[in-house]
Amino acid sequence: MKTIVIALTIVLALALPCTTTGEQNVEKNTPVLLPVKNDPTISFRIWFKVGSQNDPPGKEGLAAITASMLTDASTQKNTYAQIIEKLYPLAASYNATTNVEMTVIYGRTHKDNLKEFYSLFGDAILLPAFQQEDLDRIKSQVMNYLENTLRYANDEELGKAVLYNDIYSGTPYGHITAGTIQAVKSITIEDVLDFYKQHYTRGNVVIGLGGGYHKKLLAALQKDLQKLPAGALRSAAKPQPKTINGFNVTIIEKDAPATAISMGFPINVLRGSKGWYALAIANSWLGEHRNSSSHLYQVIREARGLNYGDYSYIEHYPNGGRLQLPPQNVCRRQQIFEIWIRPVPNEARHFALRAALREFKHLVDKGMSKGDFELTKSFLKKYVLHYAPTTMERLGYALDDRYYGIKASHLETYRKMMSTLTLGDVNAAIKKHWHYENMQIAIITKDAMALKEALVKDIPSPITYSTPKPESVMNEDKEISVFPVKVKEEDIKIVPMAELFLR
Amino acid sequence: MKHFFFTLVIVTLGSVAMAQSIFPYKYHVETLPNGLKVITIPTESPGLVAYYSIVRTGSRDEVEPGKSGFAHFFEHMMFRGTTKYPGPVYDSLITSIGASANAYTTDDYTAYHLNFAKEDLERVIELESDRFQNLYYEKPEFQTEAGAVYGEYRKSITSPFAVLNEKMQDLAYDVHTYKHTTIGFEADIKAMPEQFEYSKSFFARFYRPENVLLLITGDIDPKATMKLVTNYYSSWRKGYVPPNITPEPPQKAERSAEIAYNGKTLPIIDIAYKGDPFDPTNKDLIAALLLGDLAFGENSDLYKKLVINEQKVQFINPSVPMNRDLPLFEIYSMVKKLDDINYVRDEVYRTLEEFKTKLVDEKKLNDLKRRNKYGFLMGLDTPDNVAGGLARFAAISGGIEVVNQLYKQMESVTPQDILNAAKKYFTPERRTVVVLKGTQS
Repeated sequence: MKTIVIALTIVLALALPCTTTGEQNVEKNTPVLLPVKNDPTISFRIWFKVGSQNDPPGKEGLAAITASMLTDASTQKNTYAQIIEKLYPLAASYNATTNVEMTVIYGRTHKDNLKEFYSLFGDAILLPAFQQEDLDRIKSQVMNYLENTLRYANDEELGKAVLYNDIYSGTPYGHITAGTIQAVKSITIEDVLDFYKQHYTRGNVVIGLGGGYHKKLLAALQKDLQKLPAGALRSAAKPQPKTINGFNVTIIEKDAPATAISMGFPINVLRGSKGWYALAIANSWLGEHRNSSSHLYQVIREARGLNYGDYSYIEHYPNGGRLQLPPQNVCRRQQIFEIWIRPVPNEARHFALRAALREFKHLVDKGMSKGDFELTKSFLKKYVLHYAPTTMERLGYALDDRYYGIKASHLETYRKMMSTLTLGDVNAAIKKHWHYENMQIAIITKDAMALKEALVKDIPSPITYSTPKPESVMNEDKEISVFPVKVKEEDIKIVPMAELFLR
Repeated sequence: MKHFFFTLVIVTLGSVAMAQSIFPYKYHVETLPNGLKVITIPTESPGLVAYYSIVRTGSRDEVEPGKSGFAHFFEHMMFRGTTKYPGPVYDSLITSIGASANAYTTDDYTAYHLNFAKEDLERVIELESDRFQNLYYEKPEFQTEAGAVYGEYRKSITSPFAVLNEKMQDLAYDVHTYKHTTIGFEADIKAMPEQFEYSKSFFARFYRPENVLLLITGDIDPKATMKLVTNYYSSWRKGYVPPNITPEPPQKAERSAEIAYNGKTLPIIDIAYKGDPFDPTNKDLIAALLLGDLAFGENSDLYKKLVINEQKVQFINPSVPMNRDLPLFEIYSMVKKLDDINYVRDEVYRTLEEFKTKLVDEKKLNDLKRRNKYGFLMGLDTPDNVAGGLARFAAISGGIEVVNQLYKQMESVTPQDILNAAKKYFTPERRTVVVLKGTQS
């Protein structure tokens, strides 16, 4: 019976006319639409302007847990087990992605299954049950991630998490989205309910809808979301990361088979501006994500075989180890430049750090060459075609465009810019946004004290290989091994694993 | 775990591709005189093409002692270029056309894939045909690449699942090459720089047209594409030498082991049963593909019990893969408390006993069939997903016709077939159990 009742509600809902939200910021919150006539599926991305920057102090992780309590838990109409059972034959699902500034509830269904899917999807957002047993289960997953998986199973993600936490320490960006162990432990149903009431409001939501949908679906969705409580956008202050002076190093002591390194510094440039696209060309040449065209990859992996890959970023790129192309809906007002050195043998850690910094310094000092500039432009012009092959991904980019205030699409702008930017633009962007001297560095390794001493004394780090290398490489190695990376003793902290993500 | 999810995608794909009324794309198959099979599938994807070269060689073919991981290592070497287009030139040409290019190796095959703009089709065919026929590298480059492979091993082995799978395969198999993981044993990876001569013989024996399929999907014209392929690949000479893979004898008794993970993790239990090689006419096998999900998938009673109600485990997942030879049907679970490991194990056994004696609910079976149908339809959204989803079928059967047979067979599976599959495969004699525990608490 339940199913029939829901189906009827949907039919009625579909027949209702379009309504507007009536909020003051209606202009900004108008739906983001991407109709694709021949698409047999419908993609939803419901964006709430809330993220881990809104976590109350002492409740770090609340934004992510609240979102999970909508999509991975019971509603007032169905238990979580019933929801799984109903979604199961549809091969459809919905999930939440929470980042620092955005939470997006997204899902996709075949048109044939829209009615069944939509009722469950709508209930998840509008009628969460917020039950203790669901919270217990979700908290247990988050705790397992913080206490075990992130600390022990994936040193690369660990290095990045430490880097971001260090750079943004003391700001609303200063903790990873999953939160901290003590805070997650303390989160109660009341916390979740309060957070939901404050942030899941009419003034804080943007509809993203794409694929082969009928306009009546949009009307129904708009009407349904009117059931959210009124409320204005509750913004958080833009983070002001502390100034980095010199090389600041955090070493995480771990009995690791290899050393993972991440480093970077805040930059003040966002996608949509000419400077960003110019910098994107330089960054692609230096370290295109998981691509052999990356110069760092060529130097550290291809010529020397020290690791599996080496990349750089000018936008946040979570889960890089699992993704080939950039994710959507991870927008931030404040970005960092980041270099990612995948695990190198422990005996090569100091050398690899020097090699990466040396290449970066060369680029900052000398700029790009004409040949590299032309090749990279040609690459990016077509490579961005692969960024969003599906409706769901294109819809994600469309929401991102709204976030960044990009009127034309970012991906189209990207391609156009590849025809208009000059080498002078790129080298000017490098000079403006990148510097070599001030860098936050995170290193996951064993024998932390030995590394600390080596960095403080800036002792040479000659490298030996088990297999022969060309003379050009051996000669360059001599320069790399003494390349100055001097760190003051007080700028190096050694942190035991057990203290990470604790509070 | 990756393996598990991949399997699900394939099962999903398999379930519908064959029904002509459902599968929206016509495909064309042609085999060149040298044995190279080419499958072209035009799809609605304005301007984009996916190009898969599938070598029917994976870690399964690593028969010589000390050579585990070589198929994967060789995948890396395929990016080192030819005399005509040395590695850096190949890289810069791929870069200049903005292609998204990569490769992966599995137990049964190795796939090289590119996504690119349709105007670059001839350039890609030229480059791919060149490296598959004329790969050339010097010894130092070969030895340096071994370092990158070791780096890949190092970055992965911090995961408890990598440690667990390595142990499970080693324990469950005595003689068959599924005894080692695709990345290989660490000792063999360490010794890879010494295998330069062997690498040449590997290329000469396995990288031959009769052992390779091309899957080309997207915005293509099949005739024009075939003309180009014929032009560039016809000079490739035959010469495939099949490896002599020792079949695994039937397992006679249960095996078990406990393994330590150097770090902190919740305990993981992996319960595996020897299955059957992929054969769409083997009804027991096809029923087992469905049984995994029915008994241990997200919609199963046991999942609801252990994950949602009792909350004793972080997850429970089945893995019922399709392989050329005899695979392991596995059930993984991450248990929250050490004391509950035996309880979870016994719940898995109890569930299997139930499936052996009680017919599964017809509605649940139909729900799964429906899920597979829509999962398949929704997965056909890009040329890369179409080609990528067909890759394993092409590799293990030598074509994509089996997809049709598999679907028909799956549609016909009854509750009685599920019961029969439970009785056939999930017996103590076929079983290997590995429990992994962290060294730190």
